[in-house]
Amino acid sequence: MRIATGEYVCLEGDKANTLFIVKSGMLVGSTKADAGAPLQNFGPGSIVGEFSLLESEPRDLTLRAAEDTEIQVIEQSTLQSTLDKHPGWLKSILTFLTARNRIAQENKRKNDLIQALPSLLYVFSAHLKETGADSIPLSLLHKKILALNNTPDEETDNLLASLESLGLLKVCGANDSDKSVKVESLQIIPLLYETLQYRALNQKVSPNILSMTEQMVLTTFVKIARESNVPLQNGLCTITTEQLKAEAKKSMHGLTLTSRTIAPLVEKNLLEPSSSFDIHAPLESVSFFFADFEKILDLLELNRIFPLLDKSLV
Amino acid sequence: MITGDSRQQVIPPTRSHVKAGFVVYSPDSGERNIIILDEGELAAVERTNGIKSTVFKMHPGDLVGVAALLEHENFRYAIEATEESTITVVTEECMESELKTLPVWMLAVIRSLSSKTRKLKDALHHTRCENTLKSLAEYCSHLEAKKKYPLKDLVREFHWLTRIPSSVIGEEFKALARRKFLVLEGNGEDATVYTVNPLLLQIFVDYQNATERNVNWEPFTLSLAQKRLLVKISSVDQSMSMDAPAWIGFFKEAKLQIDVTEWIRMQQFGWFKASRGNTFSPNTDKIKYYLAALRYETNIRGVL
Repeated sequence: MRIATGEYVCLEGDKANTLFIVKSGMLVGSTKADAGAPLQNFGPGSIVGEFSLLESEPRDLTLRAAEDTEIQVIEQSTLQSTLDKHPGWLKSILTFLTARNRIAQENKRKNDLIQALPSLLYVFSAHLKETGADSIPLSLLHKKILALNNTPDEETDNLLASLESLGLLKVCGANDSDKSVKVESLQIIPLLYETLQYRALNQKVSPNILSMTEQMVLTTFVKIARESNVPLQNGLCTITTEQLKAEAKKSMHGLTLTSRTIAPLVEKNLLEPSSSFDIHAPLESVSFFFADFEKILDLLELNRIFPLLDKSLV
Repeated sequence: MITGDSRQQVIPPTRSHVKAGFVVYSPDSGERNIIILDEGELAAVERTNGIKSTVFKMHPGDLVGVAALLEHENFRYAIEATEESTITVVTEECMESELKTLPVWMLAVIRSLSSKTRKLKDALHHTRCENTLKSLAEYCSHLEAKKKYPLKDLVREFHWLTRIPSSVIGEEFKALARRKFLVLEGNGEDATVYTVNPLLLQIFVDYQNATERNVNWEPFTLSLAQKRLLVKISSVDQSMSMDAPAWIGFFKEAKLQIDVTEWIRMQQFGWFKASRGNTFSPNTDKIKYYLAALRYETNIRGVL
C-alpha cells in the first residue's frame, strides 16, 4: 500500500486488527496525551500495531506519512495461516509474550502513579505554605508536577481522584481553566508527605503512624473535647484525667487506661501532662492533659487514610 | 541434498514423561529452555536457607522459560514434577531453527514484544525526567529562601522524588550554583546549600519549558519601548488605579511610546490587573517577574 506525504494511515483509537510494516519512506506517530512531545518515527523495517494484530486492540497512535511511504499490511488471517504451519507452542509463546507485556505495562502504570504521589504532595504542600491558601489552581499543579517529575496531566488527575476518594482533598470548579484543588486541613498534605518521606528514607514506620491503642486514646480525647464545649486556648484543649478514664471505660472496648497506655503519646509530645509524668506512677498522679486539638485531628485523619493509600492508588 | 523445504532443517522439541519429584529444570544448570507442560502438574520451587517453598504451580498448556530463552533473563526457580507428567522441552537450538522458518514480520513481532517489555521493566528503575536541571530548579524553588540546608539531605529527598541518580543531582546543583540561583558552601558531608531568590528558579523553569517547546519566551521578546514601559510601571504605586485612556495618557506624559496596541500587549503580559469600575492597577507580582527575568537574562540563558 502506498501512502502519499501527509496522508494519514490511521487515527488513535481506531478499531484495528492489522499490523503495518514500513517497506520504504517514513511514518510518524503521535498521541493526544503526548501532544507537543517529539513524534515517533517509523522508518523502513519498522512494524506498528502488534497488539492490533494479536488482540484486535484499537490503534494507540495516529500515524501519518512524513514522506511518500510504502507499507505492507498483515491481516489476522495471515497470522492464523502462519501459526497453522508451525508447532502449537509458537502460538503459546506469542500469547505469553503479549500477556507479559500487558503485566509490564500495568506494573509501569502503577509504579508511575506511586512514584508521582510524593511529587504531588511536595508541590501541593509547598504551595499551601508559600501562599497560606487552602487550594491550588489545577493548571498550576499540573505545570509544577510536570516540571518536577515529568508526570503527565492525566496521571496527576488519576492521583487526585484517588486522594479525593479518600476524602483528603476536593477538585472544585466546572471548567478546566478554573478548576482548583482544595483541602479541608492545611496540615494533612504536608503531614502525609512527611510520613511517606520518613518511610522511604529511613525504611521504617514514621512516628506519625500511631498504634491502635494510641489512636483509641486520642479519639477518646477528641470526643471529650468536642462534648465539653470548652473553648480552645491558643489551639490547646485540656481534659482532666478523671474525664479521660471515665470516657475510656465506655468507648475503648474494655481497655484500662493506665500511665503505660498514655506514655507513648506523652513521649511523642501529643499529650502534655499537667505535672511530671512517671510511667510507673498511677495515672491519677497527673490531674489533666492538654493537647493541640488540630494536630490531633490531623494525625487521626492521617492514620485513617494511610493504610488505605496504597490500595486506593493501584 | 537441498530440497527447498525449510521445515526439514527444524530441530524438533523433545517430549518426555517424568515421574513425581523429577527436577525438570534447575537454575544452577545454566540451560535456557522453554518447558511446556502437556499433561500432569509441575511446580516452580524456591529454596531459601534450605527451606523449600512452592512459588506457583503449572497446569497443562502452561509454559516457562520464554524470557530466559529469548531475552537471556535469569529464571531463578527450580521446576519439579508434582505428579507424573508429560513435558515438551524447546531448547535454544530448537527455537533458533524454528525461528529461521518464520516470516520476517513474525520475527519482528516477537522481537518487538520482547523489547517493549524489557524497556517497560527497565523504566521502573529509571527517572522519568528528561530535563534534570529543570526538575531540580522546580524542587529548589520551593526551598525556604536563604535557609541553609545540608546538601546530602536535599540530594536524598530529590532522588526519592525523581529517581535521578545522586551523581547527576550533584552536577545539577553545581550547574544551578554556576547560574547564581543558589549557593553551595563547604565540601563532602558538611556541604550546605541555600537559594538566593526562589523566584529566579521559578523563572528558570518557565524559560526551560518555553525552550523545550521551541517557543519564544515573552520576557526575552520585549522591545525597547516595552522594557521602558515596564520600568515606568515598576516605579508607580501599586495601589494606583486608572482606566485605560488615563494609563495611556500617563505613559505619554512620561514621553514613552504607547498606543492602544501596546496597551493590549501589556494586558496580555499580565502587567495590569482589573480593578473596580473598569480601572486597572499594576500587577506587582508580574512586574517583579518580568524585571527579574530581564535583570538575570544571562544567568537564565546560561551564557555567563
